[in-house]
Amino acid sequence: MSVEDRDLLARATAGEAGALETLMTRYSARVYRLAYGITRNAADAEEVVQDVFLQIVNKGGGFEGRAALSSWIYRITTNVSLNKRRGKHRELETSLDELLPTYLPDGHRAGERAFLVADWSGTPESELLSGESRRILEAAIDRLPEHYRAVLVLKDVDELSSDEVAEIVGDSVAAVKTRLHRARMALREQLTRRLGAGA
Amino acid sequence: MTCREAIDVLADYVDGTMPADLAAELERHLAGCDPCRAYLATYRTTRALVSAAAAVEMPDEMKTRLRRFLAAQQRR
Ligand SMILES: [Zn+2]
Repeated sequence: MSVEDRDLLARATAGEAGALETLMTRYSARVYRLAYGITRNAADAEEVVQDVFLQIVNKGGGFEGRAALSSWIYRITTNVSLNKRRGKHRELETSLDELLPTYLPDGHRAGERAFLVADWSGTPESELLSGESRRILEAAIDRLPEHYRAVLVLKDVDELSSDEVAEIVGDSVAAVKTRLHRARMALREQLTRRLGAGA
Repeated sequence: MTCREAIDVLADYVDGTMPADLAAELERHLAGCDPCRAYLATYRTTRALVSAAAAVEMPDEMKTRLRRFLAAQQRR
């Protein structure tokens, strides 16, 4: 971590309002986005943000300084968000296996050809992000296990590397890559089941 | 390369973290395989949709409440 980050954190921990304000300006939007991405609920995400900043202020002095400050903040956010989700909405989570491609013994995909070649990617993004397809997408994201959503947000919204994400979520790089790929495939499958026929 | 092997490595391909020789092998498979081309196109679009849909903004009133919350904590 940079000297500047360390200094900023120390001043915020010591109760300097200006330093805390700078930390909030830099990180609150990112913390909220990740918290919302994992909890999928604005009220829960707000509580996570408050908790995370409280931990920054209270525990900032104990920050080891080996990783970037942003990674440390993301890690706290992930942990607090996952704790908040514990035991909630489990019934929404479908088994991902049912949404992953299946194959014939020779390595070709199984399924009807019309479905296998369905390509809705030419539809304008603005159209895909509104109306029925947006609802399908949001519902599909809701149904992902939260560990998958954490990786999805860190990779595809914050555009961190797999190494950085692995450090934040406390898992191996291979596990992060697998989760990301499976999450995208599961979402793709649900979109294709609903949009494919009309494309 | 089979379709199964092609789809297994799509994440690295789409994210641009795939070695060039493997990317060339994948592209040879894609050139002759309609289902995998459709899979790649929709996979890539799914990724773009997730990026856009999950990029939620923190509401301004929440930022105000966070400031107030922290100021109250610091005074204690
Ligand atoms: Zn193929």
